[in-house]
Amino acid sequence: MALSGMRGLSVFISDVRNCQNKEQERLRVDKELGNVRTRFKNEKGLSPYEKKKYVWKMLYIYMLGYDVDFGHMEAVSLISAPKYPEKQVGYIVTACLLNENHDFLRLAINTVRNDIIGRNETFQCLALTLVGNIGGREFAESLAADVQKLLISSSCRPLVRKKAALCLLRLYRKNPDVVNVDGWADRMAQLLDERDLGVLTSSMSLLVALVSNNHEAYWSCLPKCVKTLERLARNQDIPQEYTYYGIPSPWLQVKTMRALQYFPTVEDPNTRRSLFEVLQRILMGTDVVKNVNKNNASHAVLFEALALVMHLDAEKEMMSQCVALLGKFIAVREPNIRYLGLENMTRMLMVTDVQDIIKRHQAQIITSLKDPDISIRRRALDLLYGMCDVSNAKDIVEELLQYLSSADFAMREELSLKAAILAEKFAPDLSWYVDVILQLIDKAGDFVSDDIWFRVVQFVTNNEDLQSYAAAKAREYLNKPAIHETMVKVSAYILGEYGHLLARRPGYSPKELFTIIHEKHPTVSTSTIPILLSSYAKILMHTQPPEPELQNQIWTIFNKYESCIDVEIQQRAAEYFALSRKGASLMDILAEMPKFPERQSALIRKAEDAEVDTAEQSAIKLRAQQQMSTALVVTDQRPPNGMPAQPSIGPLSLVKVPSETVDSNPGDQGLTHPNGVVYKEDPQPPSQDIIGDLLGTLSIEGPPGAVAQSPQSATYEAEGAPSAADAAALVPVGEESGSVQPIGNINERFYALCLKDSGVLYEDPNIQIGIKAEWRAHQGRLVLFLGNKNTASLGSVQALILPPTHLKMELSLVPETIPPRAQVQCPLEVMNLRPSRDVAVLDFSYKFGPTMVNVKLRLPAVLNKFLQPITVSPEEFFPQWRSLSGPPLKLQEVVRGVRPLPLPEMANLFNTYRLTVCPGLDPNPNNLVASTTFYSETTRAMLCLVRIETDPADRTQLRMTVASGDPTLTFELKEFIKEQLVSIPTAPQRPQGPAAPPPPVAPASQDPGALLAGLL
Amino acid sequence: MPVAASAIYFLNLRGDVLINRLYRDDVGGNMVDAFRMHIMQTKELGTCPVRQIGGCSFFYMRISNVYIVIVVSSNANVACAFKFVVEAVALFKSYFGGAFDEDAIRNNFVLIYELLDEIMDFGYPQNLSPEILKLYITQEGVRSPFSSKKPVPNATLQVTGAVGWRREGLAYKKNEVFLDIVESVNLLMSSKGSVLRCDVTGKILMKCFLSGMPDLKLGLNDKIGLEKESQLKNRPTKRYHGKTIELDDVTFHQCVNLTRFNSEKTVSFVPPDGEFELMKYRITEGVNLPFRVLPTIKELGRTRMEVNVKVKSVFGAKMFALGVVIKIPVPKQTAKTSFQVTSGRAKYNASIDCLVWKIRKFPGQTEPTLSAEIELISTIAEKKSWTRPPIQMEFQVPMFTASGLRVRFLKVWEKSGYNTVEWVRYITKAGSYEVRC
Repeated sequence: MALSGMRGLSVFISDVRNCQNKEQERLRVDKELGNVRTRFKNEKGLSPYEKKKYVWKMLYIYMLGYDVDFGHMEAVSLISAPKYPEKQVGYIVTACLLNENHDFLRLAINTVRNDIIGRNETFQCLALTLVGNIGGREFAESLAADVQKLLISSSCRPLVRKKAALCLLRLYRKNPDVVNVDGWADRMAQLLDERDLGVLTSSMSLLVALVSNNHEAYWSCLPKCVKTLERLARNQDIPQEYTYYGIPSPWLQVKTMRALQYFPTVEDPNTRRSLFEVLQRILMGTDVVKNVNKNNASHAVLFEALALVMHLDAEKEMMSQCVALLGKFIAVREPNIRYLGLENMTRMLMVTDVQDIIKRHQAQIITSLKDPDISIRRRALDLLYGMCDVSNAKDIVEELLQYLSSADFAMREELSLKAAILAEKFAPDLSWYVDVILQLIDKAGDFVSDDIWFRVVQFVTNNEDLQSYAAAKAREYLNKPAIHETMVKVSAYILGEYGHLLARRPGYSPKELFTIIHEKHPTVSTSTIPILLSSYAKILMHTQPPEPELQNQIWTIFNKYESCIDVEIQQRAAEYFALSRKGASLMDILAEMPKFPERQSALIRKAEDAEVDTAEQSAIKLRAQQQMSTALVVTDQRPPNGMPAQPSIGPLSLVKVPSETVDSNPGDQGLTHPNGVVYKEDPQPPSQDIIGDLLGTLSIEGPPGAVAQSPQSATYEAEGAPSAADAAALVPVGEESGSVQPIGNINERFYALCLKDSGVLYEDPNIQIGIKAEWRAHQGRLVLFLGNKNTASLGSVQALILPPTHLKMELSLVPETIPPRAQVQCPLEVMNLRPSRDVAVLDFSYKFGPTMVNVKLRLPAVLNKFLQPITVSPEEFFPQWRSLSGPPLKLQEVVRGVRPLPLPEMANLFNTYRLTVCPGLDPNPNNLVASTTFYSETTRAMLCLVRIETDPADRTQLRMTVASGDPTLTFELKEFIKEQLVSIPTAPQRPQGPAAPPPPVAPASQDPGALLAGLL
Repeated sequence: MPVAASAIYFLNLRGDVLINRLYRDDVGGNMVDAFRMHIMQTKELGTCPVRQIGGCSFFYMRISNVYIVIVVSSNANVACAFKFVVEAVALFKSYFGGAFDEDAIRNNFVLIYELLDEIMDFGYPQNLSPEILKLYITQEGVRSPFSSKKPVPNATLQVTGAVGWRREGLAYKKNEVFLDIVESVNLLMSSKGSVLRCDVTGKILMKCFLSGMPDLKLGLNDKIGLEKESQLKNRPTKRYHGKTIELDDVTFHQCVNLTRFNSEKTVSFVPPDGEFELMKYRITEGVNLPFRVLPTIKELGRTRMEVNVKVKSVFGAKMFALGVVIKIPVPKQTAKTSFQVTSGRAKYNASIDCLVWKIRKFPGQTEPTLSAEIELISTIAEKKSWTRPPIQMEFQVPMFTASGLRVRFLKVWEKSGYNTVEWVRYITKAGSYEVRC
């Protein structure tokens, strides 16, 4: 070691190590720093040995955590020393003490470069390490080429090339723009042929970085990667030193598979086959063994292989194999492995079709819910939540409820929320849902958020058949001696509303109900008292004829609270008291609550908002796309105040529990669900979910049993187009798209794109449509970028172009589905036949989960896109101008109501519309003269001249003269310019757009039911 | 009486427990780990002597290389706790013969446990007077002169009696009293020479070797005492000519008869045997500064500095100061220094970033100077302007009191009427004596 012989250094280190405390150490270090400073300042200079020694000391002090802000000059100067020991310390200290922003590094670049291109490979290695460690922009600029050369040179030893590959990787990561990798695909492919595993591993790291940026260029590397993987999996020609616990270079395996995941797919069937063979081998060959290190390595490989399998969308058999393997994992005692198994299973849920296979392990997963390790419990909960569907919801929710009473407090809130969501989504029938939620509140009242009980109240209110059942249940819970306050709230509310339905049963008389509710009164907090008061009032209202005793009791309570300090309570008490004296009007006002308008479950929104980790997030997202449990979709257009529905509105869409008689209207398109639930649709369903459901059920031609399996995939994929048509028949498009709100103003985006050639045309929470256009004479090429923003694919994607007569447009095929987080490009060829201001419209629709979204977007293929700016000289202009005399070739108009604009700005505006303003042609400084060429198939190139005369006194009016060789063109151009001048920058809707998207219809927020629901 | 401690720990600088004693079980034995983790191993150490961690309060102070930590979990009397620590340390010192450090603790485990048992009971401080404790807690293996006698006859009476601090029946061949006035001067002076803060804390230390039960009376040139005296005598016969001193914050040893002090303003007391601190005081006005420091520090460019310091002694020419050390701070990147001094020696100390100028004997009415040239090393960090910490000074001036306090008389009265010899000394030390530059 280079330290040998440096006595001063070892004495210093042992001094520091012998220090009793921090203070002593600091004193010793400060003393040494003083010494070093003095030495460096010495005029006589230092011998290389001394310099080396002091620089080592500096490094040691720096590593102890003290600031060393001098001596960098000495360190850098050591780099150029001829001998290894000095060079080494120079490189090491420079790499440690300096970062890429230090000016000192500039001094070193040349030396480093000399070392890199030199013949001494130890020096090359040192230099490459330094460049890799610091690798600033300047280094990248001046050294990347040399490093690249070193990497592919055949004369270097593997040791140097390995370092060169890593060094290049670092430079590329930091400054991808500086490192020139154009045309590197072949080189990379060459590098992947390398036999030396060390170099191969380093090159693979480099490849991963390159491919992650741009996979297109590296298709040629794909077969090589597969071949490498094959070689490793078969354990062919793997030297002993690269075998780790019997596994041939797990690192390289993982990296290779990672690289493969950056390619969208493997197309070549041969490569695909051999890749799957390898994956198969990995899946088969991995098992859990005793040795931890071996496990770590083999599992790392396995999980990467799993990710790759998921990425490649392998056939079902392989998927089931994966799940089976994971099933083995979650059965193991060792917690780490179990954790990984659960986590990866949750990830597997992303892939469709495997859910059934995963379900086979349900029992095992439920066992993990009782694991002593909380992280495993959490993973198991995530997985259970993710894998729940209609078929197993009952079991899982029951299991969760059971677990709730023994779960840690940290998990309970999440657990109860999840149980509530699952119960809501997958309830086979509504009474079960009510049971579950009431149990939930009973067992974990503290952890049940208000949203959960609000939701159950909403359901009960919206489903008549449920009301008496819920009331009976609530009464049962109130009988218990100690119940949670939330339970008091729910029970009091439900009994107040619906207690009268049971009045004839023994123990349900108003008086008894009042007594049992009032028993809880002393134990509740102020937030519950208003609810109690309301239910008292309701009970009072339902007592017909009034019982004087009960009335007195309740009035006493109202009286008492009339002076309550809490305003809410006071107001309620005073109002109820006054109302209850009015007699009949009480009936009207306190009548049964109206139905709630259907809305997204607050719970699901909450779950989405909640800070969740990735596994959980994916599970939730996945759920969100799944069909909502059809059993719970409740829609009602009934007007408030409990009035019976008017027959003119049409059949009510109510969900009935099976016990009730099914009333079917002849015009109804009801279908019986396997669960025995009946749907009836309303001609105007208010919620998007309903449409999805309806379509889902409607489009199934086969036996209804098929629905139970995987509803969404069965229906939507297959029935994309017809169901979309059905949707259009059922629902006005405007209302429909109203449910997925576009982000940003579509109009503004359109106007912006009229001026620019690329930008975003449309964006909503699911999709972003970008546009990029190139215009050449009368032809144009637009590329639509359809980007899926979700982690689930968008189905039934359709894009239709409705071109105006003057444009010939050809849209290439739009794929039916857009994969998750992918962007699809659809080129669109445009040809301009003749001048016109009409606008092409893109009719775009897609389906996200059950939601069908349809938007009509104007395409920015407008008149000015076919203009070509041209500058004319006075000699050209005036003869032209004169020759085009009078209408219809030359039109003049006085435009009023122009937005006042200073002249230079107006000139700018013209320039952006590709009308070149030619200064100096008109002697009047208040006038503008512009020229341009218009291209179309009929007119070919046509010179257009424009003259604007402004009035400096009144900027809102101007006189415009437009001239061209074609009467239509003259007219259209004049109108176009007029529009632009009048509509700057407010950009109102232009009247001639054939089908401008109607503004989103605001949901009827004036619904009194909604207002009342807000009160709850 | 409030609780002072639930537990007491003695730790070395590394945080190892040397000795501990739990007085109450409301703190766990592992609380000291919390102290180590959250205070000793962080920068917090030395910022505030009272810290609260997890419901427990930690009072700590460092004495030489030992941390003494008191842990309480209730609302304790902090001042009482610290006083207890100070007194306990004084007690230990008197037992160990002066030194109190890690080694002393290691060598006296048994004794310390015995003392800890005695001086605090269930968190309440007990008698901490060495004179009394030495009567019945004797050093192991060493036969105390007292223990050779029969067990002390009336130890209880003594502890609880009127004069609990003095045994009866003492007899000395030569009756002597030593009185020292020790003052330390705290000063902060601006670079222009104006005094920003200045005060003197003084204490009167006594050592008595007197027989029997003597009654002592001390007269100082303090203002109140003199006024009262002339009032009582009602005649300005023996007027004290000279400066009178106003003492602030006077505290006395428990032996001083406070009723007499309140009525007559005289300090009269029956002294304990041996050494004790009779009184403490503070003076904020009319302080005679022993030294003036006149610094000029010039920064010449980025890498050079010139320092000139002149120190002037302003006490009598016949007196002299001892052990004068002047610490002149310099920037951290100091690389080379060269000095010229008219007296004493100077050198650069890198570990405290100071030029240290030492003058062993510094006569009054002289003004030695130091001029130094300093070269700085260049750094890559952008130059932060140097904060210029103050110049610090240490010294001792015998026979000089910065306050001007003088002993007018010290009268000893005893039944047997023996003659006594009184010795009086004055000394002034530097507290924090700082001059900004």
